[in-house]
Amino acid sequence: MISVMEVYKLLPKTNCKKCGLPTCMAFAVELLGKRKAIEDCTPLVEEPKYEKKLAGLRELMAPLLSADATETGMVIHTEKCYGCGNCVVACPVNVASDPKGTAIGRGPVSGKAILMVEDGVVKCVNVDQCRRFGPEKVLCNACIVTCPSKAIEFI
Amino acid sequence: MAGKKEVTVVTYRGIFQEVEEARGMYSDGYRDQSAILDLDGGDAKALGVEAGKPVLLENDSGKVVVVAKVSEDPHPGVAFMPASPWSAQLLSGEVREGGLLELKRFRADVSPAEGAVTSIEEIRERIGAP
Amino acid sequence: MAFCTGCSLLCDDIEVDFEGAKVKKTLNLCRKGRAHYDSLVVDRLAPAVDGSEVGIDEAASKAAELLGGAEKPLLFGWGNSTLAAQGAGVRLAKKLGSVIDDPSSYSQGLITEKILKGELPSCTFDDVRNFADVSIFWGDDPSSSHPRHLSRFSYFPRGEKRQRGYEEDREAIVVDVRKSPTAQIAADGFFKIPPGGDAEFAEALMATLGGKIPKVEDKKRMLNLGTKLRKAKFGVIFTGLGLAHSRGGDLGPFFTLVAKLNELARFSVIPTLGDYNTRGFNQTLFDETGSVNSVSFGGGVEHGPEFGIAKYLDICDAVMVVGSDPAAVLPAPLAKKLSEIPMVAVASQRTLTTDAAKVTIPIGVAGLEAEGSALRSDGVKVDFDAAVESGYLSDVEVIERITEAV
Repeated sequence: MISVMEVYKLLPKTNCKKCGLPTCMAFAVELLGKRKAIEDCTPLVEEPKYEKKLAGLRELMAPLLSADATETGMVIHTEKCYGCGNCVVACPVNVASDPKGTAIGRGPVSGKAILMVEDGVVKCVNVDQCRRFGPEKVLCNACIVTCPSKAIEFI
Repeated sequence: MAGKKEVTVVTYRGIFQEVEEARGMYSDGYRDQSAILDLDGGDAKALGVEAGKPVLLENDSGKVVVVAKVSEDPHPGVAFMPASPWSAQLLSGEVREGGLLELKRFRADVSPAEGAVTSIEEIRERIGAP
Repeated sequence: MAFCTGCSLLCDDIEVDFEGAKVKKTLNLCRKGRAHYDSLVVDRLAPAVDGSEVGIDEAASKAAELLGGAEKPLLFGWGNSTLAAQGAGVRLAKKLGSVIDDPSSYSQGLITEKILKGELPSCTFDDVRNFADVSIFWGDDPSSSHPRHLSRFSYFPRGEKRQRGYEEDREAIVVDVRKSPTAQIAADGFFKIPPGGDAEFAEALMATLGGKIPKVEDKKRMLNLGTKLRKAKFGVIFTGLGLAHSRGGDLGPFFTLVAKLNELARFSVIPTLGDYNTRGFNQTLFDETGSVNSVSFGGGVEHGPEFGIAKYLDICDAVMVVGSDPAAVLPAPLAKKLSEIPMVAVASQRTLTTDAAKVTIPIGVAGLEAEGSALRSDGVKVDFDAAVESGYLSDVEVIERITEAV
């Protein structure tokens, strides 16, 4: 998981306020929450002396910004996935919405499951239903700790 | 610091090994998932072996060249290898005291190797399948 | 719904779209099962004699000739065959007066035999899902070999008396020599033992259960385990090759432990069997002869280790291998012996064994190209239909043709 400190270290650390926020630390928080973009830090993208930091920051943020990452920051490394269904059966949202399917270890039947195994690997749909995304932003990690191969992570 | 070390090798089956076998046991994929040896970090260092480099496994029953991997968890003196035609080259065929054919465990010398990983075609020749 | 014969869980909730013989999309099928489905278009075989393609009738009659003309034939394999084919195989063995054996003679045959004899308590996977509160994986890594084991049955799902699933109602304990993917899931339920250390572990646990101090380094942890097991309402031990092979087949301490556990709580054993229908063959042969493998129909019915493939290869003069690849599994000296013996290979995909065979006969993949029945490793029978058309004969059709021609 990318930490705020890791992001902060790659910023100018001048608190110049050009991004509209009072400090670079605050900008780092907004950047991680995807409420600000790297481009909002104009010194970072315009000044040659920050070229290395900019490259480093783009690399650090790449998985979060890629098509793989869902709104919740969930990344599924399909090349590592066993298709075992542990996450599908353990997911509390699945269990609650699919009592006759995933809750009892079978494939989803209710049409409301958010994790399922397609083509041998896990897939996330309706991710807005994930408890990490909802208003309470519960730090649920059922799909992480149940995985035999660390194929799911939140970044 | 390169050398030779005797280890106890224990075999296992990995999921991606099974996947590649279903996709053809003569494939590069099956070789890549089977012709490997998981070494303990300390043992690898003492041998002068790096992950991804070839190692020679040898005992009285036979020898093969496979790719070394280095485990995160410690297991000094023990190495893990997928159960496959490669590991079978190092089994003697002895039947153990409980009456079971020894298939899971053998002792072998490990050393850094030059050259290519043993191919399945070569194993096929060795066992006499035309 | 389609079925999967990729392992002995025999999943029956698979959704699949085909484009001809090629799989386009699947739902609920694990990574290994998907590879099994994809294998339909990989390395398929044509009937052949001495490496040249022939018609199926010629191949079958050549096979019958090869086996019928032998003095000491061996019929081996069967774990990846339907119940019908297994029954036909036993009938062929009787007709030939031959030896019949399967890979359980070098894996978990002893455990399965004790279960079938009623000497080792067992239960079904459905019982596990509904009632098990302690699941022990001993020398067993089903996460890799039977990927949906933990999610369908043994750890994660809710069940009748386990409404809160793995979160509150179940424990996973792993006893293994390495931190396997299953051990990874068990987290602090993982007990690492040295290679061959299963007997010592069983004995330490026995001591704990008997109120004595166990002879281990971390006594506290072992005592806690003992307490946990003593309080179990419905325990299950899933066994794998790591246990079976630990002391060359001597499982005395393990069986003693299971008996002790059952004095204190209810503990069942279900072996995690590799091929999809090993249990079916063991049951079929057991019903017929009282043994699960290594049987000779040569002069009446005999059984013993001398009729297991490991020893019988020394004297057998013809072999038929059905749905198995011993040339890839057996130690090199035995694989060599095997390839020197005139062989009939009945298989759906090319392997080292089919390469070494004199006569090769292709069959359709059961559960996809051919219908049939099988037993899950818990003994529950599953009937499956074919999902696609193919030009291949089913395994039972081939065995019966050979039997007729003998």
